[in-house]
Amino acid sequence: MEERIGVFVCHCGTNIAGVVDVKRVAEELADYPGVAYSTDYTYMCSDPGQNLVKDAIKKHNLTGVIVAACSPTLHEATFRRAGMTAGMNQYQVEIANIREQCSWVHQGDKEAATSKAIRTIKVMIEKARLDEALEPISVPMTPRALVVGGGIAGIQAALDVANAGHEVILVEKSASIGGHMAQLSETFPTLDCSQCIMTPKMVEVAQHPKIRLMTYSEVDDVSGYVGNFKVKIRKKAAYVNRDVCTGCGLCVEKCPAKTPSEFDEQLADRKAIYTPFPQAVPNKPVLDAEHCTYFLKDGKCGICAKVCPLDCIDYEQKDEFIEEEVGAIIVATGYDLYPIENLGEYGGGKYADVITSLQFERMLSASGPTGGEVLRPSDGEVPSEVVFLTCCGSRDTENHLPYCSKICCMYLTKHAMLYRHKVHDGQAYVFYMDVRTGGKGYEEFYTRAAEEDDVLYIRGKVSKIFEEDGRVMVWGVDTLSGRKIEIAADMAVLGLATVPNEAAAKLASMLKIHTDEWGFLSEAHPKLRPVESLTPGFYLAGSAQGPKDIPESVAQASAAASKVAALFAETEYHREPVIAVIDEDTCAGCRVCISVCPYDAAEFDDEKKVARIKEAICEGCGACIAACPSGSAQQKNLTDEQLYKMVSAALEV
Amino acid sequence: MKIPYYPGCTLHERARDFDTSARECALALGVELEELAIWTCCGAVYPLVTDSVMDVLAGVRNLSYASRLGDKVVTLCSFCYNVLKRCNNVMRDDEDKRDKTNLFLRADTEARKKVESYTHEDYEGQVEVLHYIEMLRDVVGYDKVASAVTKKLEGLKVAPYYGCMLLRPKNEMKFDDPEQPTIFEEFLETLGCEAVDFPMKTECCGGFQVVNDEELAVSCSQNVVVSALKRNADIIVTTCPLCRYNLDRHQEKMAERVKGFSRVPVVYFTQLLGIALGIDKKHLDFTDNSVDPLPVLAEKSLF
Amino acid sequence: MFEPRIVCFFCKWCTYAGADLAGTSRKQYPPNGVVVRVNCTGRIDPQHVLWAFREGADGVLVGGCHPGDCHYEEGNHKTMRRVQFLKRTLEDVGIDPERLQLDWISAAEGEKLVHVMSDFVDTIKELGSLELGLKEQEKVA
Repeated sequence: MEERIGVFVCHCGTNIAGVVDVKRVAEELADYPGVAYSTDYTYMCSDPGQNLVKDAIKKHNLTGVIVAACSPTLHEATFRRAGMTAGMNQYQVEIANIREQCSWVHQGDKEAATSKAIRTIKVMIEKARLDEALEPISVPMTPRALVVGGGIAGIQAALDVANAGHEVILVEKSASIGGHMAQLSETFPTLDCSQCIMTPKMVEVAQHPKIRLMTYSEVDDVSGYVGNFKVKIRKKAAYVNRDVCTGCGLCVEKCPAKTPSEFDEQLADRKAIYTPFPQAVPNKPVLDAEHCTYFLKDGKCGICAKVCPLDCIDYEQKDEFIEEEVGAIIVATGYDLYPIENLGEYGGGKYADVITSLQFERMLSASGPTGGEVLRPSDGEVPSEVVFLTCCGSRDTENHLPYCSKICCMYLTKHAMLYRHKVHDGQAYVFYMDVRTGGKGYEEFYTRAAEEDDVLYIRGKVSKIFEEDGRVMVWGVDTLSGRKIEIAADMAVLGLATVPNEAAAKLASMLKIHTDEWGFLSEAHPKLRPVESLTPGFYLAGSAQGPKDIPESVAQASAAASKVAALFAETEYHREPVIAVIDEDTCAGCRVCISVCPYDAAEFDDEKKVARIKEAICEGCGACIAACPSGSAQQKNLTDEQLYKMVSAALEV
Repeated sequence: MKIPYYPGCTLHERARDFDTSARECALALGVELEELAIWTCCGAVYPLVTDSVMDVLAGVRNLSYASRLGDKVVTLCSFCYNVLKRCNNVMRDDEDKRDKTNLFLRADTEARKKVESYTHEDYEGQVEVLHYIEMLRDVVGYDKVASAVTKKLEGLKVAPYYGCMLLRPKNEMKFDDPEQPTIFEEFLETLGCEAVDFPMKTECCGGFQVVNDEELAVSCSQNVVVSALKRNADIIVTTCPLCRYNLDRHQEKMAERVKGFSRVPVVYFTQLLGIALGIDKKHLDFTDNSVDPLPVLAEKSLF
Repeated sequence: MFEPRIVCFFCKWCTYAGADLAGTSRKQYPPNGVVVRVNCTGRIDPQHVLWAFREGADGVLVGGCHPGDCHYEEGNHKTMRRVQFLKRTLEDVGIDPERLQLDWISAAEGEKLVHVMSDFVDTIKELGSLELGLKEQEKVA
């Protein structure tokens, strides 16, 4: 059959047409072999643009369509749908990327850009010439979601998916859900108590019939693809039979071994057997073997086992591995603070009275180590002058991180305000670069701190902090008056930059989802697909994707959950059919394909003595095709023949 | 082992005590500092202009001389170290400046031939610029230094003063953490004395501002000395002749200004090393100090 | 002025996305390369590269995910081995192995893509046009 290919060149306003001579492109390609129709249009993705494509398909009885426009990651799906409604097979609609990889990157040379655009389109014409009509592969959908991370984002996502009627497995690495939000005192800009709004949600998770909560657990391995993931979860040895434990707390009370509490940010101790905080969910202890006398001293101790009324303590417990099938995964691994050790200019953690923002949160919290009183860690005195520093590690291209951590301006404002509420005659200083108050009610909150609570805002950076005569000396500059400033303070609070949780990097590489150069998870599109990963089936929520405050994290979590709910609305998932296929007539049965396949998708047919591809498993990577010595393995719609012709087209003069 | 050595002008003039003590200590540790056959002033200050190569020429010329002797060059003065290392970075990383600088070097070959046996070779940053203390740590090794110590400096509280030029800019110097450095402290522990941690150890002494504005230099160095005194330092060590000058010579004025000021001697780290290694006293030469270090050293039975 | 013709085989997960990022960041690089998008660099058969040279390419650039980041576990490792082997073959047939380059460029490395592309174009410009004389041979035949 002779091909009848249509070429549709998009101007994208001036984005493409400002550099590429789109008229010339359309005209030249009209004469290219196999092209039955060629035209250009201002916005091909608009309704009239799509109609133009649809009408041409019908009118010219097209066998293939090339839309020369933006990257296929943006509108391939759009135009494939348009093609389908016009009665065309969607896999015969192709995109030639002449924006991101042509007009935008060759702005200085219109002639060369135009010529490259033409060759880029020819490459896709050669592909389309041999594209077959394919149907998506239907695979069953497992309507169960895995949520990784039990902070506010993970909790919200889990609740929303569960309330939509689907099962959820919520995995949290520490002993309780709650994340950083559970550590906070009050929240800006309303100053409502963080625990008070958080704990009901935590309880709701624990009691939800659709949610299976797995704390003290980590995701160990993930395989499969959207709709059909297999996940392996490692339930860390808690040395406590938490199914039987009632959380009476006797073991914790009697335990003799202490270590600094992670939840209290090292400001107080916890026991070796512990629940992280009184409102923990589940409210059952775990035993930390690294600090337990029984484990450190070869079985000498065992007090917890002796006092437990239900015999829950099991020193022999091992990590347990649980395998589950899920259809979608929401990653909500959250953030950490930039290590204080990296800020040598502020002492790098060696001064007791120079503390992190999360430490100050614990200090402000009514259930915290000081019972809500602001006290200097060095001597327990009430500080009469406190300096708050924004941008500790953020917005510092030369020495630290270039990005804005977004939440610090607001929480330090809250800190300064709460300090003033607790210490009425205290003086609070905030050093700032800019006070960024983008958010509902945020600017008013900042104004209130400065005007009603007399927080002194100094525009400038702090160059050095050191201890002198028992005081915290802060050297900075006021860039508005141009003067150097020295403050002999009692305490300094560092608004440390927000960095991705260390678990995120490990998980991202296991899940093969992209991160940016700082380790934050990358969304599929910065504006239009902000809660999905580029890899189908993975969704992002909360600070794992970028610094976020609570309302934003919650909004993103709900958005991710609604995406998952939409995915689960179908009972089948349709996979791309561009997978490998083996020609049984020419296959010599050498089994090379079987040895190179990373998914065990190639199998050997003992009767016919040939290899075969399991359609439901093949991911379409093409490893077997490149390895097949006889050329019997081919990729659907990207055969070797197509590739050769595409390469030739790329080199046409 | 021979290592090429760039002394710099000051070590041949005002800081002879630094030069001799360093050479003698190196010999005791099995290293011969081989002074470059030809060298000139490094330029003393690394230029901040970015569109001129003239200012790096002096530094590069010396590096090029060093490259004839070996793959390293050791220096002592913080200013020289700063300038040489940064000039070297330019030759390593900036292709354009490298080419231009080499053109200049080639152009003055003829003129220089009249006075020096000098032929041009393109220089590409191949020499590694080392500070003497880096040599002790990375080439000799602190272990070896420790085993060569014959007299442990026990009971001596030493304030290690880094100054600013050794450490900054951090991305270029890569000497140590510019805010919380430790290379000196580790060195002092090797000698058996106690390192005093004082917050002003990386602050500026006033540097060459002493020429224009002595008041400024006095207040800067006073800041450093007082901070060390507050933490009961017996002695301050430094690695730079200019730092030594500022911290040592201004103590008369400091005494006038600071109530209860007690003078504290400032010596080069190589002089302390010399005592620990049992080097002949005549090579250590404590005669150029305004504040005499001998009483303190005698009190601790070290000299 | 010699303008090299270059074929770029980019994997769709990393380098192709990196090239898109270079575009959205409006970074500029020379327009000599035309991209052929593949799912994975592991799909690339050495024959495709040889074919490109036969068809008049002065250089071939292969861009994939960093080791450990391959969307298909280890396709990029396979490519790494194939490319090394292929470079030797190229040398044997008289093609400077520098005309084939493999680089790891992630979806976040728009900047790196620009450098790699610009440097590769420079390299090929220095090497000059690849004259295999195939067209002449065909004419004679």
